[in-house]
Amino acid sequence: MISPTRLTAFAVIVLAIPTAVSAADVAAPAHERFKGEATESPSFQRHVLPLLGRLGCNGRACHGSFQGQGGFRLSLFGYDFASDHAALLDRFNLKTATDSLMLLKPTLQEAHKGGKRMATGEWEYNLLLRWAKAGAKGAGEKDAAFATLEVEPKEISFTKPGETAKLRAIATWADGSREDVTPLCRFRTNDDSVATIDDNGIVHATGRGDTAVVVFYDNGIATVPVLMPLSDRLGSNYPAVPTPTKIDELVVAKLRKLGIVPSELSTDAEFLRRVSLDLTGTLPATDEVRSFLTDTTPNKRAKKIDELLARPAYAAWWATKISDFTGNTERNGPLGGEQGLNRDKAGQWYDWVYRRVKENEPYDKLVAGMALAIGRRPEQSYADYCDEMSSYFRKDNPADFAARPTMPHFWTRRTLGKTEEQALAFAHAFLGVSLQCAQCHKHPYDQWTKQDFDQFTAFFSGVRYGAGNRTETQAMKKGTGLEGLDEDSGNYKRKFAELLADGKVLPFKELHVPQNQKPRPGTKPGVRVGSRVITPKLLGGEEVVNASYTDPRQPVMDWMRQADNPYFARAFVNRVWANHFGRGLIAPPDDLNLANPASNPELLDYLARGFVASGFDMKWLHRTITNSRTYQLSWRANDTNRHDERNLSRAVLRRLPAEIVFDAVVLATASDDERKRLDADPAALRVIGRSSGFAGGRSNDTYAVTLFGKPQRATNCDCERSDEPALLQTVYLRNDPEVLKLLDRPEGWLKQLAKSKQTDSDELIRQAYLRVLSRLPDDRELQVSHKHLSSAKDTQSGLRDLLWALLNTKEFIVNR
Amino acid sequence: MNRFCDGITRRDFVRAGAIGSGFGFGLADYLRAADSPEAKSAKAKNAVFIWLGGGPSHIDTFDPKPDAPAEIRGEFKPIDTNVPGMRICEHLPKLSQLADTYSIVRGISHTLAGHELGTEYLNTGSRPIPSLVYPGYGAVISKEVAGDNELPHFVAIPSTPQKAGYLGVRYAPLQTNDAPKPGVPFSVRGISLGNGVTVDEFEKRQNLLTQLDTAFAGVEKESKLIDGMDRFAHQAFDLIRSSKARDAFDVSTEKPGVAAPFGEGRFGMSCLLALRLVTAGVRFVTVSFTGWDTHTNNFRSMQNGLLPQLDSGVSALLAGLKARGLLDSTIVYVVGEFGRTPKVNERAGRDHWPRAMTALLAGGGVKGGQALGASDAKGMGPANDGYTPDQMAATFYHALGIDHRKEYHTATGRPVMIVRDGSLIRPLFG
Repeated sequence: MISPTRLTAFAVIVLAIPTAVSAADVAAPAHERFKGEATESPSFQRHVLPLLGRLGCNGRACHGSFQGQGGFRLSLFGYDFASDHAALLDRFNLKTATDSLMLLKPTLQEAHKGGKRMATGEWEYNLLLRWAKAGAKGAGEKDAAFATLEVEPKEISFTKPGETAKLRAIATWADGSREDVTPLCRFRTNDDSVATIDDNGIVHATGRGDTAVVVFYDNGIATVPVLMPLSDRLGSNYPAVPTPTKIDELVVAKLRKLGIVPSELSTDAEFLRRVSLDLTGTLPATDEVRSFLTDTTPNKRAKKIDELLARPAYAAWWATKISDFTGNTERNGPLGGEQGLNRDKAGQWYDWVYRRVKENEPYDKLVAGMALAIGRRPEQSYADYCDEMSSYFRKDNPADFAARPTMPHFWTRRTLGKTEEQALAFAHAFLGVSLQCAQCHKHPYDQWTKQDFDQFTAFFSGVRYGAGNRTETQAMKKGTGLEGLDEDSGNYKRKFAELLADGKVLPFKELHVPQNQKPRPGTKPGVRVGSRVITPKLLGGEEVVNASYTDPRQPVMDWMRQADNPYFARAFVNRVWANHFGRGLIAPPDDLNLANPASNPELLDYLARGFVASGFDMKWLHRTITNSRTYQLSWRANDTNRHDERNLSRAVLRRLPAEIVFDAVVLATASDDERKRLDADPAALRVIGRSSGFAGGRSNDTYAVTLFGKPQRATNCDCERSDEPALLQTVYLRNDPEVLKLLDRPEGWLKQLAKSKQTDSDELIRQAYLRVLSRLPDDRELQVSHKHLSSAKDTQSGLRDLLWALLNTKEFIVNR
Repeated sequence: MNRFCDGITRRDFVRAGAIGSGFGFGLADYLRAADSPEAKSAKAKNAVFIWLGGGPSHIDTFDPKPDAPAEIRGEFKPIDTNVPGMRICEHLPKLSQLADTYSIVRGISHTLAGHELGTEYLNTGSRPIPSLVYPGYGAVISKEVAGDNELPHFVAIPSTPQKAGYLGVRYAPLQTNDAPKPGVPFSVRGISLGNGVTVDEFEKRQNLLTQLDTAFAGVEKESKLIDGMDRFAHQAFDLIRSSKARDAFDVSTEKPGVAAPFGEGRFGMSCLLALRLVTAGVRFVTVSFTGWDTHTNNFRSMQNGLLPQLDSGVSALLAGLKARGLLDSTIVYVVGEFGRTPKVNERAGRDHWPRAMTALLAGGGVKGGQALGASDAKGMGPANDGYTPDQMAATFYHALGIDHRKEYHTATGRPVMIVRDGSLIRPLFG
């Protein structure tokens, strides 16, 4: 039996039929069967196509190119059986099979741009020849479908470089037949500094650490973890390590295998700064640091976590994070007459999410409010709908958009005009899955085929933002000055927004969601796409008769909410993890795919299950993670974990996110009064808040946040956010007029001091440290600072220098 | 690891946060910079892109139609240039005397009549599609052509519609946000000491910083982040203290004799800045000159403002590059998003007309004194096959040694050619 804990949950789906491998019922591998003069005929789908994939024929640079190559085109990475079969027939001479181009070219008996791919008389050659001689039959209707791919061993543990291990891959088909397909697989390593793998499935140890090797056959994908310990702290030589939470147990279980010993616990000051930044995007206030450091309550860290989760800054920062991956940006608001409202709409989108994060609405419910969003309620007339929509945009006493049960702006973006774009955005935002490749061809590293993509896309068919009732639209425009104006003209857009601000009711477009009717008798249930009828199918799941639902998107949402859904809960858990550790358990965090297993699959499973069981309680998730010892470890390395950035044995240093950088400069230099004001309403007043969806700044922060890698939210990729350092960022903090002005602003700390009678310079130095670095200075730092202050022309300018210097330390810009 | 559709790891393309690619050099660039090749055998290593936002009339600039009916030929007459047979609008007298240094391309044609889409097309060379943001010329060029690390590689005066697109913000422009004014010192953010801070004070602060920034001492050996930040710290200090970039931006220090031909207008001063930046070693400079959307009073605004400014600015730039021996190594491309309707409307204006437009190319190996292509007798469309914005882009890149067929990958893994449907206009290179 396959131990389910060894596999990610998605792998479990593919490996739905666990089977014991016994030699008796497994057909011999192709390289044995076709070694000599074979008599059996190979199967197109089981042997011929996988062989072509393995020989590289259907790669993008070769015949998989969309233009083909040398007049011969195969579907990219296979899986279009009919067209590949037809193309192959053209390359075979069925009368004199040995004269076939398909045999002459790859053996270089005839010129072949792609070079030599096989040798005459070898098993690959024999296999293709036998297939041709047997009539070159394609995939038959009756052929059993491929079911599972299983690979042995389940895990490889090396002790030194140069060691090898051989993989064996067994495929099982729906009829129960099985075959050793090792010679027909493609292989890949996820990190060649740890292990490489050759074409025959032999894994070579190259270095210490851990990774996975990946095996591909048909649309089956299996991964095998490979590891080589980093030290001799193994078995009984492994020290006693505290594991107070389940997370710690799971993390240390893997560290034990790797001989990595976790770092010590972080200091209280480090913990407070880290957890405040991660949960609330906010530097702790000076008093808060002081009282936390002197607090002697044993569970003060847990208490602090609860306290932070109750703050508005928690909701402000996480509404921004959710806005990131759902794609909330003014830039992508709909084109046309409503274009002038796009900034307001980005704000509404944020407000809507903020309210729900603040109230800790379950994540699935929050997502359902977007995923199943509607414009006009079924019982609502178009006129009432326009009345409602208009009410959100009037200047005086606007209606509360966040109170709306659903939030349609996700769907009305100009970049989601096509059903395919909706499917891609949906899969990225809520499933953490990239379907982009499968839009045109078989995904090279995941199970998705073009048909999977088309069938998933069918759920969204007909969802579009379009004009409302025409007569009423005309009637509403009458007398407003809008009639006769082209909706695309700047004049209309300006006027439209102005009239709404004045409280007029104007015609809005509406989000059309097809209300499915029962299929007519005799027709196949499905969605008409062009001339084809496509049956909607969940990713890796069931086909769905859409007609039984009112909203065609409903079955997708129902599926996502199921406890065993392989993506929905995991994608969010992984994104939260990535925020708290600088790296997802699956990295990048929006790349949930079979060939990219989590660094600790058991841990991801545990958290995803717990998150579902908690009722998708986001605060449960944050609390569970940040209360773990693993989260609270120090960044200081020991000899075993100096190079570990993957297995959670220490905190990894990371640059602060763009918005938080800017806010941190503001907060560190703010007067006590201003700090209070900012803390009271971060969503409205800070860069981590509402303005995050605006194109161009609320104030002059745009330059800075762009510089520090704030995501544009323009593409379906979490990689839009960058935390890479860059020279101009350093220049900005050193010398930008904005930063220099912040030091001396009227609401700033320096101005506050100028008015106060505080003269104890040691105390002032301590305050500067607490403000900027959230800790107290040590003796040397106090001395150096003191010396500088006494050499300055006055305390004020000395303190200005000190603030400047501290803001420019790496310690400030790094979350440690 | 995440891989692209064709197997390249996505992490290689993860975006770096930076405006102004020269200054915004990301960590990976440092590791690569040493062996980054100069642009192959091409003549040009710098480029100036002059953007005529709004869409200038082709008939009233470089494609006059003196024989067309009055409602088409408009109010202006053509004049001879210093190249026999090549004629341009009478309100471009200075340019008429430099015709041997540039080529005119006529009969460029496309179908996007909206500003937004036309602008994106002409600034990228790829017809816009909703799902992808193509990188502008400056982003591609600053990625492909190695530059001076003490200078930004992509400068926009005062701004540009060009985006880094799928290449990532590290290739985004450094926008000056303002045009220089005559006699007034000019700078960009952060590179010159401001707010009354003196070099002495800056050094004192730096000294304090060095003593206090010790929390990660020794960690640079095991952390690329810390190592990178240390390098940037040194560079930033030199950059702010040294005068190279600062001097290049400050047009007020230019010799009066050099500055005078550029005139005192925003556009002329911007062209002067472009000349200084290219001279200092900035790879790509774009100057935006808007106001060409002349739906009403086309002739008055052209004659009184637009054409004289264009005439002085571009001619002084070309002459300046030539005088400094930089014209051969600098390609200049002047274009807008479309031409304008041949038929003058009832408000004495001309409306959007993408079916026929013109562009000017000079330097960087482009053979001067030619007028390639043609529009038909009434300037309605190309006379023959015409040219596309894609071809213009491919040609522009070619001059810089960049193969427009080179493939990049978008952040989501899609392979995209730099110019999807481009081909080289060979006769431009003689």
